[in-house]
Amino acid sequence: MALLRIERAGPLVSIQDPGRFGMLSHGVSASGPMDRRSFARAGQWAGAIDGTGIEFTMAGLALTLVEGEVFAAWDGGEFSVNLNAGRLDWPGYTRLVAGDRLEISVGPGGNYGYLRFGGKLNLVPVLGSVATSTRARVGGLSGRTLAAGDVLEIVGVGAAPRSPQMETREKGAIRFLWGLHAELFSAEVRQAFVAARFRTSAAMDRMGVRLGDESGVFSAARVLSLVSDPVVAGDIQILGDGTPIVLMRDHQPTGGYPRIGTVITADLDRFAQIRPNREISFAPVSLDHAHRILRSQTP
Amino acid sequence: MAFIAPDRPMIVPLGDSGILVRFGEQLDDAANRAAIGFADSVLQSPPAGVEEVVPSLVSVFLRYDPMQSDFGGICGELRLRLTGRPSAHSPNTHIIEVRFGGADGPDLEAVAAELGLDAPGFIARHNALPLRVLTTGFAPGFVYCGFHPEGLVLPRRQSVRPMVPAGSVLFAAGQTAIAATDIPTGWHVIGRTAFRNFDPLTDPPTHLRAGDLLTFRAI
Repeated sequence: MALLRIERAGPLVSIQDPGRFGMLSHGVSASGPMDRRSFARAGQWAGAIDGTGIEFTMAGLALTLVEGEVFAAWDGGEFSVNLNAGRLDWPGYTRLVAGDRLEISVGPGGNYGYLRFGGKLNLVPVLGSVATSTRARVGGLSGRTLAAGDVLEIVGVGAAPRSPQMETREKGAIRFLWGLHAELFSAEVRQAFVAARFRTSAAMDRMGVRLGDESGVFSAARVLSLVSDPVVAGDIQILGDGTPIVLMRDHQPTGGYPRIGTVITADLDRFAQIRPNREISFAPVSLDHAHRILRSQTP
Repeated sequence: MAFIAPDRPMIVPLGDSGILVRFGEQLDDAANRAAIGFADSVLQSPPAGVEEVVPSLVSVFLRYDPMQSDFGGICGELRLRLTGRPSAHSPNTHIIEVRFGGADGPDLEAVAAELGLDAPGFIARHNALPLRVLTTGFAPGFVYCGFHPEGLVLPRRQSVRPMVPAGSVLFAAGQTAIAATDIPTGWHVIGRTAFRNFDPLTDPPTHLRAGDLLTFRAI
């Protein structure tokens, strides 16, 4: 067993696991890591025996191992990491012993990073998962984000850490499938949507990422109110004032705004990592193509 | 685009891991009943690869693992099920006790006036007939219930309240909804109930199922 204490936590540092699936019919979306593959890789580096870990945002976090020893590993984005006074590589791993202080701070890229351990974070699952849902306020520590002073217990000893296969991420347009309501937008608006450049805004969290639409693709598009339908992560929804918003892991379970498309699963991790005020564009793909990309990705 | 109807549903992908079977473009009784019936029949024996079945207002969402299953195969299975008779579960009936008006229901008087009624008259008409649970959605345990007769239909408020407390009983669009958690809403707040349709420490976490009947009672 090991005990660690959070010394500093940036905004929206949360406990995650792969997600709380199967609860949509009760009005609860799955949550889980914003960048799933980085979360999984951090677990491989750590030799994690289960699916629990910590997600942090751009400002990072600092923690002290109060008791015991544990393997810890980090991945996702490009952060700066220090063990006591010494700088370590990103991504990477280390063995922490009592008294060690691990400090993760802002680096050159990415919005989300992950800290995983050999043992498991000892938390009571809620509805089958410890993933924190910022929307439903369940999971993690009483459904809240982590703060300085929180103490977490790690039980069990990890397997041998292994170096995961490194992933080369696509750099181009974010690929999407035309959505449920695509045909409610005119052909001109659909054409403009794939030709335009949008800008990520600072209004981003685990629920969604608002986009700037500087060329005014949706400024004149008016769609009547729609009957609510289930929502999935990656849905690109257009608000009544024309603001596009990409719904993320803590998305609302249902929604009545028109959705022009859905970001493909294979690209949602890298979309989540795009920092505010960056230009992005969208490229349509077919469902078959989306599946082929997904199946060819590094596990 | 072909006209969608309860007997002519549309099957479309929703992202690369989901399928939506829609029974209507607008919310009405027939589309909602068709969605609930289809969800029930699929849940009894889901096609291979289907990992989650979610009934909604006029549609049913199915989640599948795209690493294991393909869209076409599941759609074929779903089309077969659509030709069978829907086998809706027998609904449960629940009594919901509501404190109408006052601080619990700040919009009650205005709603009644808008419909040409006084508050007791509105409450009597609101509670006269049981309502059907149309779906759970929008927030944990939040239920939409309908449908009220024509004389009890109002649009939503012009402005959204940033937060109403759990248990709020809401009224708009010919429906009554019950909030199980604190939520923002543009619906009229007409009362409050002690009933909470969301308890994350029990599994399943909600008590009401789509298709159940609710009788509202003033206390």
